Amino acid sequence: MAVARPTFIDEVRQSEQFNAAACMNCGVCTAICPMGLEHLPREIFRYVVLGMEEEVLKEQETVFSCLLCKLCEENCPAGVHITENVRSLRHYFDRKAFRI
Amino acid sequence: MNRRKIGVYVCHCGGNISDYVDVEKVVDAVKDEEDVVVARTAMFTCSDATQQEIYDDIRELGLDGLVVASCSPKLHTFTFRGVAKRAGLNPFQYTQVNVREQCSWAHTDDRQGATEKALRLVRAGIARTRLLRPLEPTVVETVPKTLVIGAGIAGLRAAIGLADIGLSVVVVEREAEVGGWVKDFGPMYPRDKEGRELVRQLEAKVRQRENIALFTSAEVVRKAGSFGDYVVDIKTHGKSSMTMQIHVGSITVATGFDSYQPEEGEYGYGIDGVVTLPEYKKMLDAAEGSLEYHGRPVKDVAYIYCVGSRQGDDGPHQYCSRFCCSAAVHSALELYTRDPSARQFHLYRDMRTYGRYELMYRESREKGSTYLKFAEDEPPAVRKGADGRLVVTIRDQLTGQKEVEIPADLVVLVTGMVPRENDALVGALKLPVGRDGFFNEIHPKLRPVETVVDGVTICGACQFPKNASESVASGLAAVTQSAAMLKQGRAELDPQVASVDPQLCTDCGVCYATCPYDAISPQEGHEGRRVAVIDPATCKGCGGCAPVCPERAINLEGYTQAQIKAMIEGLAREVV
Ligand SMILES: Cc1cc2nc3c(=O)[nH]c(=O)nc-3n(C[C@H](O)[C@H](O)[C@H](O)COP(=O)(O)OP(=O)(O)OC[C@H]3O[C@@H](n4cnc5c(N)ncnc54)[C@H](O)[C@@H]3O)c2cc1C
Ligand code: SF4
Ligand code: SF4
Ligand code: SF4
Repeated sequence: MAVARPTFIDEVRQSEQFNAAACMNCGVCTAICPMGLEHLPREIFRYVVLGMEEEVLKEQETVFSCLLCKLCEENCPAGVHITENVRSLRHYFDRKAFRI
Repeated sequence: MNRRKIGVYVCHCGGNISDYVDVEKVVDAVKDEEDVVVARTAMFTCSDATQQEIYDDIRELGLDGLVVASCSPKLHTFTFRGVAKRAGLNPFQYTQVNVREQCSWAHTDDRQGATEKALRLVRAGIARTRLLRPLEPTVVETVPKTLVIGAGIAGLRAAIGLADIGLSVVVVEREAEVGGWVKDFGPMYPRDKEGRELVRQLEAKVRQRENIALFTSAEVVRKAGSFGDYVVDIKTHGKSSMTMQIHVGSITVATGFDSYQPEEGEYGYGIDGVVTLPEYKKMLDAAEGSLEYHGRPVKDVAYIYCVGSRQGDDGPHQYCSRFCCSAAVHSALELYTRDPSARQFHLYRDMRTYGRYELMYRESREKGSTYLKFAEDEPPAVRKGADGRLVVTIRDQLTGQKEVEIPADLVVLVTGMVPRENDALVGALKLPVGRDGFFNEIHPKLRPVETVVDGVTICGACQFPKNASESVASGLAAVTQSAAMLKQGRAELDPQVASVDPQLCTDCGVCYATCPYDAISPQEGHEGRRVAVIDPATCKGCGGCAPVCPERAINLEGYTQAQIKAMIEGLAREVV
């Protein structure tokens, strides 16, 4: 059982632009991603907003595979700043996993 | 007996009927029946073109009877009565036969059976029509005054509308104060208007108007008379308790709803920190700055939706309460204005923030609210954690079905609306109560505020769950309906009512108690004898009394003993 840690999102958030919670889980981004990234960005964002840190850490590969092409962001009906959010996540990995 | 001239019209209803009933065959089988001078099918009998065709037939062929075999009489009785009337045929010389709900829709697996049944029903309709005679509606004078029961937001707004349209109004409110639920609310969705303020304004408007009499701490105890002139007894409670009698032409019921009260242990209800939506709303409205509960700060809030609503096939509350998603999301926004760093989790089944309320749902997500979806058969659980905080567990369908534990300072059960207990009023007014326990209109789209009791309308959340603006809208619909009934000063009632043949009546008394509308009473003075008499303005024509009379002294106009017998013969005849 995963325990939600509501303060985790504050560790990931890089800027005011970070708005993972605005996602309404429609799935458009997953369907449209040219890399076919299965867990990006929708599910990883949920791990972030729910504070499921171990799940986020498992997704390093995915987070760095994103092309930042913005195809998903252009089509997101909820106005989620997907690429900005992915950048925030990369910074988080830099600090947390690579310690840079 | 003189031959009748009957026209028969059998409807395709697009394909709704003709896909399962061979309508041509039905017409073929009845076109040569005695008294039938014309029989046709039509693609849509209710269309303007076919109405014109019927009109022309009535005039050119001199029809004195009309049979329309199409949908339920609930839908188009008035349409075809209208056609008859325009063409100069007495509207009560028409019979509606229902071959859609009773044949094509009911027997989609059996085309031949459905067709045979339709034929039998049409024959019965012809048999009934043969014995119909012209009737004139009963005309009653109407008192230009309406009684509004319940002074919540729906009743208050209706009272003002009625007064402004020129009717006198009496408002009866059970509580000491007017306003219902809304009188205690702070900001309400969608425009953040304060409920308290709204009620204050409405009450001021009510008090300004000389043609509104408002009674609080009062109840309706008895209703007598009939549509147009109801005699109502009102009793006031408290120090100046008294009973008074008023005459009104119509009645509008706006008695509202109750909030669902969870059982002990339902989603942890009973544990300190688990509250219902009204309890939470009260805390929020009273809080200045960030929220506290029993002296502790509230940072993490978990909402559980659909508590007491959408209870599946066995529960007493199977409906969606409509307002609660929006009210809960609005409360979340209210909390953000007090404390932007509050963390809010919404555990829902389906988000139904319909229409423009969707914007609140979006805003709440943009402000950080997280939504988790649970399945109907696996609801979340609430318990007290080791550290004394609350813990909610959910299998989140949006996070790969993972089980998640959410810590919370407060758990809000988003409780729905339930029908308010009002047995005494239901008994006094004979109000129709639906299977869900709310009051029933005649037709949700065609006659949305009228009830089967003439002159009695319903509005607001006593009818079904509604938010404030929907309650007010239905209140205004009740205003228009009451005005349409009362402003003419007279009303026409359906003459298809029962009557007693005094020659046959022996005053045995068995019929008195059968009438659900108290229309039958004994009266002295028929050739020195006491006999049963039915008041035509009170009788609804339900027919309940006719079969119990051992002397066969009661006949229901349009469904006389002779007609019923003829219809049975029509139904039972060989089909071939
Ligand atoms: C917690 C909560 C929050 C809500 N928030 C919102 C919101 O933000 N926006 C929104 O649009 N809606 C909201 N609603 C819904 C709103 O409260 C209802 O739509 C509204 O109250 C319905 O008005 P009503 O007049 O039909 O019923 P009520 O408010 O229930 O009023 C009915 C009145 O009839 C009286 N009465 C009952 N029986 C009798 C009787 N036999 N004789 C005489 N009088 C009688 C009652 O005492 C009461 O005064 C909320 C509801 C709840 C519970
Ligand atoms: S397209 Fe936008 S709203 Fe839809 S799932 Fe992806 S991020 Fe969420
Ligand atoms: S409005 Fe929302 S919370 Fe209320 S019953 Fe409907 S779906 Fe459930
Ligand atoms: S027909 Fe029905 S309403 Fe009319 S008197 Fe008989 S029982 Fe009463």
